[in-house]
Amino acid sequence: MKRFLFCLAAMLVAASAFAQVPSVKVENSKGETFDTASLLEEATPMIVSFWSTTCKPCIRELEAIYESLPDWLEEVDFRVVAVSTDDSRQLAKAKSFAEGRGWGSDFTLLFDKNQDFMRAMNVPVVPHVFVIDAKGKIVFSHTAYVQGGEVELFEAVKKSVRK
Amino acid sequence: MKYLISVVAIAVLPWIATTLYAENTDSSDSRGYVTAGFETNTNWYQNDSKTAATVPDGNFGSNNHLKLDYYNSKFSAGMQLEAYAPALVGYSAELKGVALTNFYVDWNDEDFSVTAGTFYDQFGSGLLFRSWEDRAIGLNNAVTGARVIYSYKDILNVKALWGMPRYGMKFSETQVKGADLSFVLSKLIGLDNTHIALEGSVLDRYEALDADRITDGCLPNATGWSARVNAESHGFFLKAEYVDAGQKYYYNTSYAGEGEMYHKKRGNAQLIETGYNGNGLGVNVSLRRLEWMDSKVVTQGASNVNMLNYVPALCTQYTYMLTTLHPYGARTGEITSRFTNSGEIGGQIDVFYNVKRGTWLGGKRGMKVHANFSTYHTIAEEGTFKPGNLLFRDISVDIEKQWTKKFKSTLLWSYQEFTPSYGASRTTWLSNIMVADLLYKFNSSLAARMELQYLVTFEDQKDWMAALVEVSFAPHWSVYAADMYNHGDTKVHYYNGGFSYSKSRTKVSLGYGRYKAGYICSGGVCRQIPAYTGANLSLTMLF
Repeated sequence: MKRFLFCLAAMLVAASAFAQVPSVKVENSKGETFDTASLLEEATPMIVSFWSTTCKPCIRELEAIYESLPDWLEEVDFRVVAVSTDDSRQLAKAKSFAEGRGWGSDFTLLFDKNQDFMRAMNVPVVPHVFVIDAKGKIVFSHTAYVQGGEVELFEAVKKSVRK
Repeated sequence: MKYLISVVAIAVLPWIATTLYAENTDSSDSRGYVTAGFETNTNWYQNDSKTAATVPDGNFGSNNHLKLDYYNSKFSAGMQLEAYAPALVGYSAELKGVALTNFYVDWNDEDFSVTAGTFYDQFGSGLLFRSWEDRAIGLNNAVTGARVIYSYKDILNVKALWGMPRYGMKFSETQVKGADLSFVLSKLIGLDNTHIALEGSVLDRYEALDADRITDGCLPNATGWSARVNAESHGFFLKAEYVDAGQKYYYNTSYAGEGEMYHKKRGNAQLIETGYNGNGLGVNVSLRRLEWMDSKVVTQGASNVNMLNYVPALCTQYTYMLTTLHPYGARTGEITSRFTNSGEIGGQIDVFYNVKRGTWLGGKRGMKVHANFSTYHTIAEEGTFKPGNLLFRDISVDIEKQWTKKFKSTLLWSYQEFTPSYGASRTTWLSNIMVADLLYKFNSSLAARMELQYLVTFEDQKDWMAALVEVSFAPHWSVYAADMYNHGDTKVHYYNGGFSYSKSRTKVSLGYGRYKAGYICSGGVCRQIPAYTGANLSLTMLF
């Protein structure tokens, strides 16, 4: 085990850099295949939020973002990508749920039905948000949500633009 | 304990590495990058005569996962280390010790990808085949082998895989070989606002059989297939799937030395999902019939998460305490000495509606309404669509309303009816559950949330009540206290409380409480858990 730990440490030290967005195939609202690497093509900052229909803090966080978005967009140009981690059982429900909350008009909605994107980003639990700058670099990441936490998130978006 | 020390030691390595290199490294660095996730759920158990709580040896249980991935352009590699010291109460007995459970290398190009090692995958809705991980219920049936995916201009997507699905801490001797094809017709004929895809899969499962089964004419291979249509146009959608899950063998409980020792059945399922999403309205209807759809990684395996396909309950998955006392689990077909039921038939309808701001109902801030109706029955006659005894029925309505900038309420009513005999008799138990979920924001960083719940029933343990209070201090702290009380019969309080702290990529929570025996459900799959009382430490970190 000690040898294994040493090898692992050597590999990590040799290879570490800022995490980015890997290429993973998920679904968009129409059921079409969507490559997550294409999120970087627009070259604007974005919030990527992992959520599910059975996660109440996730919904509260996305609702808070949705409510604040018109004011935030007056200050900074950025996008919100909401990634549902609901599996095929809840997939149709997640799409209807998002539509029933009006998110479809303001967010880019993606559906990660076998949690491949979630795994690739090493998200252990939802809610989890990332702020990704215009160059595709992850500059902020946060696990869990408490009411009012969206203020810190927006500060991270503004900071990503100033950099 | 040495397992735990190993895992904790490994957990700090990614942090050291990412800290050392985080300052001056550009995202386009040719050395690539590493990400890692660490999670521990650790319980300390104590005796509790009120609930006959289960207490393991050492009064201790701990589930730990460390996942590491390395990305460099189109190449990636990774591993997952798991340690159970021992596993938490109620988790599969096969989860024990420490092991490097998953490892893979992957090349992901524009139109093809190749994976060697451990991977997760799913064909269609998963009724034929799904390999996935759900730590909440201790499920991980990842496949170790090889997979190739080829795509042609978003029109054709072909996938082939071979491997051995995981069972417990190791990979089983069961082998799966499969292929999946998706043909996007709408792309081929140039339809811009319409998506039409024709899909199909085939899966062969091989498992060496014991002598009894071979003598009885059972075969080691079971080959199944599925055919699917997915269509979407201007908000309207339709998904249809037919599954032939191959040959299944069920032990003949009345076998007495003559006749068939195993009943031979052909697994099959039909699923239709249709509806409309647009203009603030979301409607979806699901209809499903299952027959002999049980598919295990290891036929004789006793694990409570021994599954090679995904057959979830298609109904609302609640999260409020009293709404989850009797969760429904899909019936995939069973032969017992009491009765035979080949599966289930039923469906659900969901309606989500966003009542616009400025309308009479919506008021200044709008209102969200959701209603669900779901009903499932046994199959009265094998091979038919005739519904038999009621298994589960749920009617629910929930309304979410933001009254002022500071105050929001969610009201839920759910009528649940289920059979305690899994459909063997017509007897059902009814319950009505009411929930009020109230949120008040004092200022931008201080908020309080309260849940008040009541369950009315004349059966089982009669009426229940529950309450929860949670106070959050943004952006880091949250404290809560809750109690669920059965005042209709047992007079037992199921109390719990705790706090959580989250900062950046780390969340830690500490709680203490008494938990009821029952089912824990995640993603529509349920696992039975015993009662326990004690403290829980949960820590998640992303590097």
